[in-house]
Amino acid sequence: MNINLNANLETGILTLTDERKRKSAAIRRTRKFQAILISILRAIILGGLCFVILYPTIQQVLLALRAPGDANDPSVIWIPKNWSLMNFEIASIAMHYWNALLNTIKLSAVSMVLQLASTALAGYAFSRLRFKGSNILFIFVLITIILPPQALSLAQYLYFRDIQLIGKESSIYLMSGLGMGIRSGIFIYIFRSFFKGLPKELEEAAQIDGANVFRIFWNVMLPNARGAIVTVSLFAFVWQWNDTYFVKIFEVAKEEFPILTMELLNVAENVRVALFYTGGLELIGQEIWSNPLFLATISNVSALLMMLPLLIMYLFVQKQFVESIERTGIVG
Amino acid sequence: MQAQQLNAPKKKLQLTYDQQKTIWAIIFLLPWLAGLILLFLKPFIESLRFSFFNLTPQIGYIAEEFVGFENYLFALNSHTTTNSSFRLEILNTMSDALFNLPVLLIFSLFIAVLLNMKFKGRGVVRAIFFIPVILNSVAVTAALGGGDAISQILEQQGISKLFDLEFYLLSGGIPDFLVGFIVGLIGRIYDILALSGVPILLFLASIQSIPGHLYEAAKIEGATPYEMFWLITLPNVTPHIITVTIYALVDTFMTSTVSTIISDTLAKQQWGLASAMAWIYVGVVLLLLVVIFILAKIFKIGDSHYEH
Repeated sequence: MNINLNANLETGILTLTDERKRKSAAIRRTRKFQAILISILRAIILGGLCFVILYPTIQQVLLALRAPGDANDPSVIWIPKNWSLMNFEIASIAMHYWNALLNTIKLSAVSMVLQLASTALAGYAFSRLRFKGSNILFIFVLITIILPPQALSLAQYLYFRDIQLIGKESSIYLMSGLGMGIRSGIFIYIFRSFFKGLPKELEEAAQIDGANVFRIFWNVMLPNARGAIVTVSLFAFVWQWNDTYFVKIFEVAKEEFPILTMELLNVAENVRVALFYTGGLELIGQEIWSNPLFLATISNVSALLMMLPLLIMYLFVQKQFVESIERTGIVG
Repeated sequence: MQAQQLNAPKKKLQLTYDQQKTIWAIIFLLPWLAGLILLFLKPFIESLRFSFFNLTPQIGYIAEEFVGFENYLFALNSHTTTNSSFRLEILNTMSDALFNLPVLLIFSLFIAVLLNMKFKGRGVVRAIFFIPVILNSVAVTAALGGGDAISQILEQQGISKLFDLEFYLLSGGIPDFLVGFIVGLIGRIYDILALSGVPILLFLASIQSIPGHLYEAAKIEGATPYEMFWLITLPNVTPHIITVTIYALVDTFMTSTVSTIISDTLAKQQWGLASAMAWIYVGVVLLLLVVIFILAKIFKIGDSHYEH
């Protein structure tokens, strides 16, 4: 480089700029080559992993789409011989699907909002409002994270029986609102690390402008922690959706308040009863009863039905992961 | 400080910013503190007490008999299930966690960086990577027949036979030990994929919240994507590495056989024993966490780099 520069100084500026142009063109070419290489590698890696994840799912979906009568047809591996949505109908009857779906949405949404509020406040206090003893308190957050839920279940059940919240959905809301819901500790930790990552200057600038602590939290810090909010809401919703543990110990799921997870766990038993009472029996024929493969199919279909709303929701929500500033292309 | 104290009697509401902060901290922590005291500490102490007792259910009440450390000793020394023991499972889970964690961290950060790039169909690919997060639920797993949902289905459908890697590699003349290593690693891909759903989303969110002007400045300075990753993305993601580690560690234990053994013991109404097991489990996780924290301190991972 130096030698080049010296030699060019004698001939004058013109060649110097030419040299620069040539160099920058070369850099641009390598950049372009790198970009193509990266995108090819990325396509291979992501494509492969997507295949691994999707392979069983696609097979489940295709198995679900065949007629109930074909349940034990070994020649059907991928493409069903007789396409049918019957399995979905049967599963949705057996699961009390629409009713359970509404209840589950309600339960998940309310507890998500409550968890979001309690954990965001706690996370902010632990990251930005340090005071004497806050580190000791934070150890308790860690303990709530690592303590296996089974360790508390008996004592928790007895306690909730004493305050007469067993069998009520408000038991779940109480836990979420007070930051003790499903993995609330992890949420506090997530918020804490996000707030920690925000530059101190933001806070100082607002402080100089005369904003009090709550205003700084609400108007400055919270909008900057959108990533944390989206992530925590997503997990809070999904984990409550999938929860069987709390729903079981607090006996929230009842006949008049069906919940998807519990319906899914009992679907194999429920399917006979449900079909008998709704007259679905004629739809599929008697001999299906004694077929374990048919019951397995219905279980799988029910699992798909339970997952589906979450996937659809996620397709919409994931756009929120893209921040307003279009800079994502540069990253990595 | 001095001036502030002199002023204090005149204007009683004039608090320093630090005092304001402490008061607000207590207000912010109030819901969580109430939950901790009312809903957590009581069962927590109760469960610790249970672990020193033999509890037997009677009609209307629970009979208690103090046995000291017997439950702990029994859990560690004599407890066996049909094909393993509590001690063995605890050791297995510990080694599993220690071996899987670094791979899991690197893998999920790598995937998060890939998913953060701009390309066609990014939304769909992200949604696909979300499937393991949903599939890891107890109910879905039970409906699909128990075990780790994804690896279970893969085995059922014979995907391992679809690519009989071991056979190809061995017939290709590659040494035995290397084949073992590669096959072991590939066999783990399913486990790691199942565990990595949440870490990927956590890393993705943390990458997304890096201020964009950092990358713009770096681009103007002529930084390569490689440099941008090491100098911007990675330092900004480090506070979250510990979060992900804790999550992954806890998740590994919560989905392990150890957890199942505790649940089974609980279901058999051996509550004292189950509590003792749970406390051994907590001890082990705490021990691992302390090791991780010490390592993090040594390598200075997890501090906010804005504070320096």
